[in-house]
Amino acid sequence: MVDPHIAFSGAFQTLAAVESNPTGIVATAPLAPAIVVALCVVAGIATWLLLPGKREAAVRRIGGIILLATGLVFGAILVRWTTQLGGMSVYFWGFSAIAIFASVRVITHTKPVYSALYFVLTVFATAGLFVLMWAEFMAAALVLIYAGAILITYVFVIMLASEATTGAVGAAAEEVGSEHDLLSRSPFIASIIGFALAGLLIFLILDKGAQIPTPNRPVAGDLGSAQELGRNLLEENAINVQLAGVILTVAMVGAITLARRRVMVTPHDRSIETVVSPGTPVEDNPHSIPVYGTMNPRHKAYPET
Amino acid sequence: MPEIFTNIALQHYLIVGGLMFAIGMIGFMTRRNLIVMFLSSELMFQGAAINFVAFGAYWGKMSGQSFVIFILAIAAAEAALALAIIVLLFRQKHTVDSQAFRELRG
Repeated sequence: MVDPHIAFSGAFQTLAAVESNPTGIVATAPLAPAIVVALCVVAGIATWLLLPGKREAAVRRIGGIILLATGLVFGAILVRWTTQLGGMSVYFWGFSAIAIFASVRVITHTKPVYSALYFVLTVFATAGLFVLMWAEFMAAALVLIYAGAILITYVFVIMLASEATTGAVGAAAEEVGSEHDLLSRSPFIASIIGFALAGLLIFLILDKGAQIPTPNRPVAGDLGSAQELGRNLLEENAINVQLAGVILTVAMVGAITLARRRVMVTPHDRSIETVVSPGTPVEDNPHSIPVYGTMNPRHKAYPET
Repeated sequence: MPEIFTNIALQHYLIVGGLMFAIGMIGFMTRRNLIVMFLSSELMFQGAAINFVAFGAYWGKMSGQSFVIFILAIAAAEAALALAIIVLLFRQKHTVDSQAFRELRG
């Protein structure tokens, strides 16, 4: 059994002292590359088991337990490494554990509504992390925009686009839902690729993170104030703010145009027939697209589609 | 005197952001429900936003938070357009299964 610190320092020579550490302790690397690889392999297999598929519910539960245990081991190693350097606050560990757990549930839950609700939990945990980074205004904006606006839209569309459930598929007998929610598409390959990316990122951050230059940073007191943020937005990013406004306007117009239905009014009996294709203007007149459910007597009958 | 955002803290936040990005990527590749696929892409946005705010706090600059505002604007625009397209697709075939639209691959 190789000591992880020796293996790490043998493979990679940079174990730089952290300059911003006031006590001057040399930061030992927390994870050997072999341990990162092993953790990612175990987490990938567990995710593969946990993703929806034609497996027994017990197997999925085992996958979930393995993934949870892997996350706890990884967190414990990080905690042990950090406590000798001053430590992160307990709020950080709590919020990040909630965020990661809820994101895993977002992608593994078989019911879309529950996925959306777990995403709300992720948003709240991320807002907590933002507060820990002195970004109070961004935390409030995240909760307002994501949990308040975007997720409401998602839930509406889930309700609108829900179909009749077809009952059980495969061995997941007690789960009821559509087939495309109970089966996933090439989960093995995706788990491998995803956790290869995660392992590379973790390894790179832990290996090269100490070399990120320590800034001559000002006091972070004003970092979260809306006043400073607004000054930065309008002084340095004024063009970008206007571009964002243009993008939002175009997206709104596009969404309305896309989701409209074309309505055909037959001239004889005034019956309304809806066609599923999006509305297109007749004779280049944009006002000629009637909205579903309305009937304007000034409109002529529409030509054949 | 506020607490100093150390190099170690930066690494921890970057790891959380990277993990959320990877989880969102796995979800986007594996799930077949179009709505859940776009929820996973929102997860990837969140991971990127955590990284932006962490670097902004590390350097003591507001630029990180400004870019998170733009990320939120793009996410809102993307959600509106994607959900409109999903509603259209659902009207066509009465399903939100991405496998039902395989002919779009050409």
